[in-house]
Parts: sequence; structure tokens; C-alpha cells
Amino acid sequence: MWRAVAGLLVVVFLGAQATWAQAPYYAGKTIEVIVPFAPGGAADVGARFVAPFLEKHVAGNPRVTVRNVPGGGSMLGASYFAANAKPDGLMLMCTTSSTVFPWMFGHPSARYDLGRMRVAMTLAFGPVVYVSPRTGVRKPADLLKPAEPLVYGGIAATGSDLPVLIAFELLRLPVKVVLGFEGRGPIRLAFERGETNLDFQFTPVYLTQVVPLVKDGKAIPLFTGGAPNPRGELVLRDPVVPDLPSVFEVYRELYNARPAGPRWRAYEAAAALTFSYGLTWWAPEGTPEAALRALYEAVDRIVADPEFRERAKTVTGGYPLRRGDQVEGGVRKAMRPTLEVKKWIADLLRDKYNVRF
Amino acid sequence: MGEAALSALATFLDPLRLGLLMVGVLAGLAVGILPGLGGIVAVSVLLPLIFRLDAATALATLSGALAVVYTGDVITSVLVGTPGSPAAAPTALEGHALARQGQAARALSAAFLSSLIGGFLGIVGLTLAIPVARPLVMLLGSPELFMFTALGVAYAGSLLGRSPVKGLLSGLLGLLLGLVGPAPAAAEFRYTFGQLYLLDGLSLVVLALGVFGVAEVVSLLARGGAIARQAGLGGGWVEGIRDVFTHRWLVLRGALIGVWAGVLPAIGATAAAWMSYGHAVATSRDREHFGRGDIRGVIAPESANNAAAAGDLIPTLLFSVPGGPAAAVILGALYAYGIYPGPRLVQDHLDLVYVIVWSFALANILGAALSFLMSPAIARITHIPFAWVAAPLLVTMALGAFQSTRHPGDLLALFLLGLLGWAMKRSGWPRAPLLIGFVLAKPMERYLWLTVKLHGWRWLGYPGVLVIGALMAAPAFLALVRWWRRRSSPSTSGEAPHRPAAVSEARMQRIVPAVMAATAFLIFGVGAAQGFGFQSDARLVPLLAAIPGLLLAVVQFVRTVRGEPLTAADDEGADEPGGVDPGRELVQFLLVAGYLLLVWLVGFHAASFVFVAAFLWRAGHLRPPAALAYGVAAVAFLQLLGTGFDLRWPAGVLVR
Repeated sequence: MWRAVAGLLVVVFLGAQATWAQAPYYAGKTIEVIVPFAPGGAADVGARFVAPFLEKHVAGNPRVTVRNVPGGGSMLGASYFAANAKPDGLMLMCTTSSTVFPWMFGHPSARYDLGRMRVAMTLAFGPVVYVSPRTGVRKPADLLKPAEPLVYGGIAATGSDLPVLIAFELLRLPVKVVLGFEGRGPIRLAFERGETNLDFQFTPVYLTQVVPLVKDGKAIPLFTGGAPNPRGELVLRDPVVPDLPSVFEVYRELYNARPAGPRWRAYEAAAALTFSYGLTWWAPEGTPEAALRALYEAVDRIVADPEFRERAKTVTGGYPLRRGDQVEGGVRKAMRPTLEVKKWIADLLRDKYNVRF
Repeated sequence: MGEAALSALATFLDPLRLGLLMVGVLAGLAVGILPGLGGIVAVSVLLPLIFRLDAATALATLSGALAVVYTGDVITSVLVGTPGSPAAAPTALEGHALARQGQAARALSAAFLSSLIGGFLGIVGLTLAIPVARPLVMLLGSPELFMFTALGVAYAGSLLGRSPVKGLLSGLLGLLLGLVGPAPAAAEFRYTFGQLYLLDGLSLVVLALGVFGVAEVVSLLARGGAIARQAGLGGGWVEGIRDVFTHRWLVLRGALIGVWAGVLPAIGATAAAWMSYGHAVATSRDREHFGRGDIRGVIAPESANNAAAAGDLIPTLLFSVPGGPAAAVILGALYAYGIYPGPRLVQDHLDLVYVIVWSFALANILGAALSFLMSPAIARITHIPFAWVAAPLLVTMALGAFQSTRHPGDLLALFLLGLLGWAMKRSGWPRAPLLIGFVLAKPMERYLWLTVKLHGWRWLGYPGVLVIGALMAAPAFLALVRWWRRRSSPSTSGEAPHRPAAVSEARMQRIVPAVMAATAFLIFGVGAAQGFGFQSDARLVPLLAAIPGLLLAVVQFVRTVRGEPLTAADDEGADEPGGVDPGRELVQFLLVAGYLLLVWLVGFHAASFVFVAAFLWRAGHLRPPAALAYGVAAVAFLQLLGTGFDLRWPAGVLVR
């Protein structure tokens, strides 16, 4: 009798243990991260930098591989992701605003719907705008009356240049914009050669490549893109470069008013997508909550990992990785600006930069 | 600096590092040999591995791979006439012609040795560049970069062959093909015909594989027999080494062109190889062997492309601006270690710079040595029936081409470009200008645009621009002087080669050139018609390519129909003794088309198995069991390869 009871207890105990100690969602699995750009770019570097930390901190220690599917300014890879990713959290896409803008403006080749996808996590980028001393500009207020015409070099109006181009409109700066460079590196060299005299670089590059120029008196930093407050408004200073004012502050200084209207909201939307949520890891619609939760929790552990903090300082400029559930609302809000704002951006792109969607 | 170099050597001579460098070298050689795969695949496959290593070991591994890609690609190019990488296309032309004459050994040893020396000189250039590169690069603005791309085009001028009309047509066609995709200055996608596949433009790898590889395989198949017409590899190992010694200054000049092309962000190894080849042609007095197997046509480009691999690192390490796609991956790897190359790299991480230098040097030696060792064995394939080699080669090419975008369009593009390359070859259109036009189209347009926008017209008077302009004018001036001398001394027979104008009576031999000219007319017509519809900022260069192309195509068509003697103007591959039969070659094209269609329908594995087995049974005259076994072995080998290099397989539409 007692034996039977003991046996029953053992069976119950073992069964219960089996359910309690259910294996983590990702145990023994492989996460494939699709990067819709060629190797070596910002998205690729970000994805590969984070991958080993995901392996270490996602419960179940899945293998994480990164695969580049470049083409069509990221539209080919994103379309590939949309067509091939099953809702099981085993295929993610790590990409930038270059994927978001064509979708927002309905490009016919953007065969993916970011509006339905889930945000697994994001990493911020921060831009620093700087100017050549030859322009006579010493502080943001001087930008309105430069000693020589301001010339800005960019890649394309619909990529990472967009928020900066909108900021020029917002601040009403007299800038001659020359697009067509093949990357931010060649643009920086053109600035050093004096072919352009107004430029921006993302913080890691700014800290390593531009700060030496500043020390040599060959460049003067002016302002940053700003950082969002808890309500998603870009009114704070960039935490990595806190001694520089934000676009928001520069506007207030120049025009003695709080920026408002479609221009400001257009800037906020474009800057949020390009900078604050600059690198976003997407999961397909219908990804199980267990998978997403495992990723969110991994983000908490990665951010607490001293090795990550140490390396992130130089690799990403020190911006933290953020959980998808904390930023998804902000990403969605930025991706769905009001019709008025969307029209303002579309008009700017069409009238000034000949972009037709 | 010497101290840093020595301490880096001590860091470098660590068993683990040397072992991983060797892994890198093997990966680099493998992707070099495999047509369609290049440095970017080698580096990408190593990335997951190196992210677990320290920075010095990681860099040793990556450098090992990058340094030898342009050594390994020699083997495929010389032996089967298929460029192992786009930068080996000149070698595929000249080296393979030598192989068919039974001089494979000579071509291989000359190519390996020039690769080794070129790579070495490249790394010496990198070391010397560290102190002077910054001021030098600061002198190079958009106008100077534009002039350098134009200089590349001018060098291509010496590759026009004996019929300038055909040469120009080929170059303009390349230019037009190179413009497919996003315009640099305007938000406009050109010549994409609504196809997602064309949004990024055509892939250089697929172009080189198609125009040179597919076209060559088809001709070899139609001819039957083995690749080499004479027995024996040729006792040329020593002869090849002697050739390099004889043309040592050419090796040096090739390396200089390579380093320089590496430094310039717009110009990479492929353009370097062709520019160096063009330079070799331009500076040679006796030119009649170029295009039909001239050792100088192997030495110059092979020195240049290995030097360019090292030269690519100069802007990468000193300015954080990648010198080429593979260098961009190295840059990304450095970023991920939190190392941002730039002026501070030399101060903070000079040891790492020297680790790269030592790695490149050692990898070049190892790569050349291994290639030498492998070659006698591999060179035997030029003596077995080509049908046995052709099927697996074609299957590998399809797999390599598919890695470009992993879109079925890669397969269609491979076939169409193969057809184009073959038609050009059979019509006596030189293919070199096509590739150069293609490679330089976008950088030329980009820098012309930036130059005009940033500098107005003042740039025409810049000293740098004038110097490069003079360099461009020099060959034309020299040609004029030679022409003048020849006129004034009628005793010399002139340099026009004397060749029998063996005009074949075969009707197909007239039809192909006529169809080629008509097709070019159609392509330029579409190019011009669409070109007028582009935005003003995207219209200029397409029209500059399409309109002259249209006119020249009419001229060429009329000349062809009127009965232009074909063989006399044919610069490539017109040396088949028994004559060629374009009809038989077209049948082989149908086979290629059938295979690619099958891949598209039932996927890569099944289609390749069926193709290899059936081909060896029918064309290779193997018995069915042996053919089946060969098919299984080929697919198993590719599966292994694909797993090792993380390749993707075309999936069949029916299977899915």
C-alpha cells in the first residue's frame, strides 16, 4: 500500500517536474538573422556584434547566425524575409530606416509590411553635425549667416540623410545639398579635403574620426539629433555627446519658440526611425509570445553584461540595446505619421530632391 | 616603426595564428578556384569563426583569405577559360589560349609568380603608404577621381582590337549594362523593367562568368576532345618563371597599377587587371599574339590584381573607407572589435597594421606555393575529354552565379550574358571593353556628377586633373609619333600583323555577326528610348552610351551584311584550326538552357544530378552506371562545398 502511494507520488513528482522544468523556447534551436545589406555596413556590424551576446543570453542558448541578403537598397532582403520567415521566431531581420522609408511611401518594390511585424529589439544611432572653420560658423546661431556658402554632401534623400535634410528645412539653413556619394566615409574625406563644409557622422565614427579633426581645429561640432523623452518627443540631449545641443534646442535658440507643425513632426518621425530606433530587429507577424519574451529578457541580461557594456562603448557609441516591448509603440508611431506630415515629407522629396514614389 | 614591425612579427609567429592564417589561405584559394565565388564569400564564411578570436588572430585569418583569392583564380582561368573571379578575366583570355596550345604549365607558373610578386609589392606599397597616404589622398578630390576612372577607360582604348568600331560598341554596351540599377545622383532606378532582380544592377560576377565562362565552355564542348590540342603539359614550369624574369618591369608596373587602383575607392581589382593588361598591350611592340595567348597578357593582370587586394587595405586602414567590397567586410570586422581604423590606428594599433602586413606577405607565399604544388595534378584535366569536366564546371558556375543575389534571375542572367559573350566572340567583338565599361560606368558617372556639382567648371584647370589628362593623352601621342615614323620610313613593314584572312564559307558565320549587330542596335535603341524618359540628373550618361552605340551598331550592321572579312578582325578565339561551327555551339547552348530551366523547375540538386549523369552518358560516352555514379559524386561534392561555404541552393518552383 505505502509502496503504491510512494510510487504514485514519484510518478506525480516526475510528471510535475517535467512540466515545471519545461525546456526554454529556444533550446537547441538556431536563430537566423537576415541583414538586407552587404557585409560591412552598419546593420551588418550591429547584427554581428550583438549575435554572440544573444547566443549567450537568450534562454536555451540558441545558435545565432547572420546572413546577408543585399539588393535593391535593402528592399530585396526585406521582401525575402517577408516571404520566407515563418512565425516561429527562428528568423529575424536586422535593418535600418532605409528599409522603413520605401515601405512608408509605398514603393512598388517594397513587398513587405513592417506595420504587421513585431519589434524584437532596437539599438540607437546618434548623429553629430559639424562644420568647417572656413565657414566662419562657431556656434549653431552662425549657421544662418555663414562666411562661405554651406555645402553638404549626402548619399540619397531617402536614406539616412533624410532626417538631417529635414532638420536643414526646419532650421531654415541656407545649405547647398549635393547627393550621390557612395558612403559616409567618402563624404567625410570630401569634408576633410574641403569639397564640402557641412557634414554629419554617427557617434562611433564621430568619436574616432572627427574628434581628432576637432582637436586640430579642422572641424567644429554644432549639434546632435537629440534623444527621445519617455513620450517619444525628441527634446533631450544625446546621452553619448551631452555637451552638444540637440536640433530641438538649436531651433529654440534661433527662433525663440518651441518647434511645432508638420516640419517638426516630420523631423521627429524621420529622426526616430533613423536614429533612436536606428537598428531594429524585426520578427514576423504571429511570432509566439514565448519567443518574443525570451528575446526581451535576453536584452535585459545583455545590457547588464559588463563585457557588452565595455565593447558597446566603442562599437555602438554606448547606446543601450532596448527591449522590443518597450519601443514597439514608439516605432509604430514614427512609422505612421499623420497624412499631413507624410505629405510634407513627400512634397519635400519631390520638389527639392526629385524623388517620386 | 621597425620596432613595431618586429614586435608584430613576434605576435604573429604564434602557432594558433599561423594555423588560422593557413585556414584563411585555404578558404581564399578555394573561393578563388571556384568560379563565381570571391573574396567576399571567403571573408563572410570566416566571419562567424573570427568573432570568437582576438583582433590580431582575426585579422591574420581574414588577410590570409583575401591575399590569395587572386592567386587561386588563376587555376580555373588558365585551365578551363572560366574566370575564377572577375579580376582574372584577362588571364582567362590569354592564359587559357596558352593552355590550349599545350603551354598550361608555363602560363600557370608565370601567373603564380607574378601574383606572388604583385602581392608582395602591394604590401610593400601598403607599408610605405602609411606615412604618406594621408596627404596623398587629401589631394584626390572628386575631379581627380573622375579623371582616374576616365584614365581607366582610356587604357581600355588599347584593347579595342583591330576593329575600333566593334571595340567601341563593346565598351558602350558594357557602359550601358553597368548603368542598370540605381542612378548615383537621382532617386531613379534605370533599366530595371519593373524587375526586383535588376534594382541593384547586374552582378559583375555573373557578367564575367557568363561573357567569358559560359561562352568558353560552350565552344569547348562543341569542338569536342580535350582542352589542350597538343599532348603534354608543356615543360613550361621553368619557362614561365623565366618569362616573369624577362618581363620584370612589366610585373612592377602591373603592381603599381594594382596598388593605385586599390587606393582609389572607385576602382578595384577587376579594373586594375584590365588596365594593367591594356598597359601591357599598349607598351608592346609586337602585339599580334595578344588575344591568342601572350604570356605578357597573363603576367601584367596577375601582378595587378594581387597588388590591388593589398592596395584596397590602404584607404580601409588609414581612412576607414573601404577600398573594395571585401575590404568593407574587414572594416566591419574591425568595427565589431571596437577598432575604428583611421589616423589613430597607426598610433594606437600599429602592431595590428603590421600583423596584416606580415599576414599578407606570408599568405602570398603560401598561396603561390600551394598553387604550384596543386597545379601538376589539376593541369591534367586539360587532357581528359572536356565533356567530363564541362558538366560539373557548368553546375559549379550556376551555383556560384546564384550566390550573387540568390534570386532565380541570376541563372537567367548567366545564360543571356553567356549567349552575349559567345555571339561577341563569334562576331569578332573584343570582350575586354565590355567588362571595363561595365566596371567603370557607375564610378565614372558618380564622380562626374559630384565634380560638376561641387566644383562647377573650375576643376578643368586643377593641376591634378591636368596631370592625369596628360597621362591619358600620352598613349595617343605615342601612337601618333609611331605612325609618323612609320610613314617617314617606308622600309619597315609596320606592325599590322600578317594573318591569312581565312574567310569561312559557312553561312552561320555570317549570320551570327549580323544578328549580334542587330541585337546591339536593339539594346542601344531601348537604352536611348528609356534614357530620354529619365530625370535630368540621371539622363546624361545613359544617352552618352546609347546614342553613339545606336549609330555605330548601324555602321557595323551594314559592314557585316556587306561581307566584312570576319577572321581578320577577330581578336579572340579565331584560332581554331578546324574552323568553328556556330550551329553546333548553339546546340550546346540549348543544353545549358535546358539545365538552367530544370534548376528553376525542380531545384539545384535534382537538376544537377540529372544533368551531370545524362551529359556524361550521352556526350561523355560513359556507361550508365558510371554516369550515375559521377552525377551522385558531383552533387555530393557540391553539397559539401555549399555546407562549408554557407551557400544557398536554388529551390525549384515545382518542388516548393
